[in-house]
Amino acid sequence: MTSGINETAPAQGPKDTRTLYIDYSKCIGCETCEAVCKFLYAQPRIVMVRTVDGQMLPLYCRHCDHPHCMKTCRTGSLTVDEQHAVLLNPMFCRGCQTKSCILGCPYGGVFATGEGVAVSKCDLCASRRKKGDLPACVEMCPTGAILYVEREAIPGLETDESRAAEARVTDFVRPRKEKS
Amino acid sequence: MSAEPRMNFAFLRSTPAAAVGRNVGIIGAGPSGLAATGYLAANGYQVEAYDKLPRPGGLMVFGIPSSRIAPDRIQRGVTMLERQYGVLFHTRTKICCSAPLHEEEGDHFSYDMVGLADLLERHDAIMICTGSWKSRKLGVEGESLRGVYSSLEFLFPIRAVRYASPNVTVPPVEGKRVVVVGAGHSAVDVAHSAKQLGAQSVSIVYRRTATEAPCGRYEVERMVECGCTWLEQRNPLRFLGEVDVQGVEVALPDGTHEVLPADVVVTAIGEVPTPPFAKELGLENVRKGDVRWLNMTALDNVFVAGDVLTGPSKIGQAVYSGLRAARSLANWLDLRAQNRQHEYDAAADLVKR
Repeated sequence: MTSGINETAPAQGPKDTRTLYIDYSKCIGCETCEAVCKFLYAQPRIVMVRTVDGQMLPLYCRHCDHPHCMKTCRTGSLTVDEQHAVLLNPMFCRGCQTKSCILGCPYGGVFATGEGVAVSKCDLCASRRKKGDLPACVEMCPTGAILYVEREAIPGLETDESRAAEARVTDFVRPRKEKS
Repeated sequence: MSAEPRMNFAFLRSTPAAAVGRNVGIIGAGPSGLAATGYLAANGYQVEAYDKLPRPGGLMVFGIPSSRIAPDRIQRGVTMLERQYGVLFHTRTKICCSAPLHEEEGDHFSYDMVGLADLLERHDAIMICTGSWKSRKLGVEGESLRGVYSSLEFLFPIRAVRYASPNVTVPPVEGKRVVVVGAGHSAVDVAHSAKQLGAQSVSIVYRRTATEAPCGRYEVERMVECGCTWLEQRNPLRFLGEVDVQGVEVALPDGTHEVLPADVVVTAIGEVPTPPFAKELGLENVRKGDVRWLNMTALDNVFVAGDVLTGPSKIGQAVYSGLRAARSLANWLDLRAQNRQHEYDAAADLVKR
């Protein structure tokens, strides 16, 4: 700081690895996360689905350690930041009709918009993070189902109920093939 | 690590913006009212929120069971608005017109009645976020028998009784046979609450099948797991009884009739909006989107948002409506301050943004 030119000073403290984790067993499907996201970014980046057994739950980006969406994207629109949030650069996205990123995501966390920039995805509220604020969906969830936690802490937060609820969502996003 | 301890209605800014010197009144402190309150307070507005109930939160606190939404989470969000954003809450205050009090659930909590005209003098603008509190009726014989409740009449006292109002009593269901009509989320909450309160049996009657049920098949299966009886494809024809309800006569798809014995019947078939002065405000036009200004009523400086406009929806939709109306209200006050209201482009504002 004293030199005034040291712009590459190492970050203080341990690396921030926080990401979203939704405990689907606590979610009541009220759509508040989607609403708040839509209000801030016009195209929601967390989107409600109705599963085959009629439960309303939000799909969201897990900001994976090895993101499939990023691997499949041929335009270099998807990158990770220092917190390992997977970011979309709308300038590079040319809305390829293969929709590789959408199809590549095993969690259904990349969304087609149908207008403007072809896809939308969560950036963990990058502009809010810069100010030290939490992602808006975390702040407004009425039930406290959406957490903003260190990645390593997620396995410890899972319960039998949350795993069962998660399985209902994955069954919907990636239906298991019928045995014939 | 655990969840954030509160619902942060002022999520837009972690500290309020510099005071803009404007004062806004919000009528109704449910999801839409609190979202609008948070947005405006974060942007430096002085906000005063009025609610008929003893606590802000609306149906998030007084309707939805605490097993789904922890009331403390809402209360801490409200406290944050009060302490960090200077919001003033006037609880037990009903904003009234000609209609008498004690008309809908929760009115008996109100000590104070304030007229809309007074409120308009007190504030630069007001927003009506009063929600939908009137239960839809089935319109069948025997609906006024003792022991027949609407979902709100049934659920509201369970939560409200904690505030020790002498006018509130929890519906007596212990050891009784309860029949719930409908298959929305209210019906599910009624069924679970009745079980918890010690009902002898709980049956859910629905005119279509579990696949069509608004609450979804998953919730139906949960109810059955909890010991409720799911009776689908049964259309209620009339409620039987002299003074107290004794049963429900239903029609089956093959045209035959069946009588279900019941001591308590709860109709959970939705609510209708209860706006104060709907006609004067021209709400029908606002609903149709025929407006001079997004979410503004026929009266200048009076805005409307949430379920009172759209009919019963979900917390998220109410929050979205409240946020958009709050933004519209702020834009309106800005343009009006410069006497440039005519520059407002309603068509551009109606586009999703």
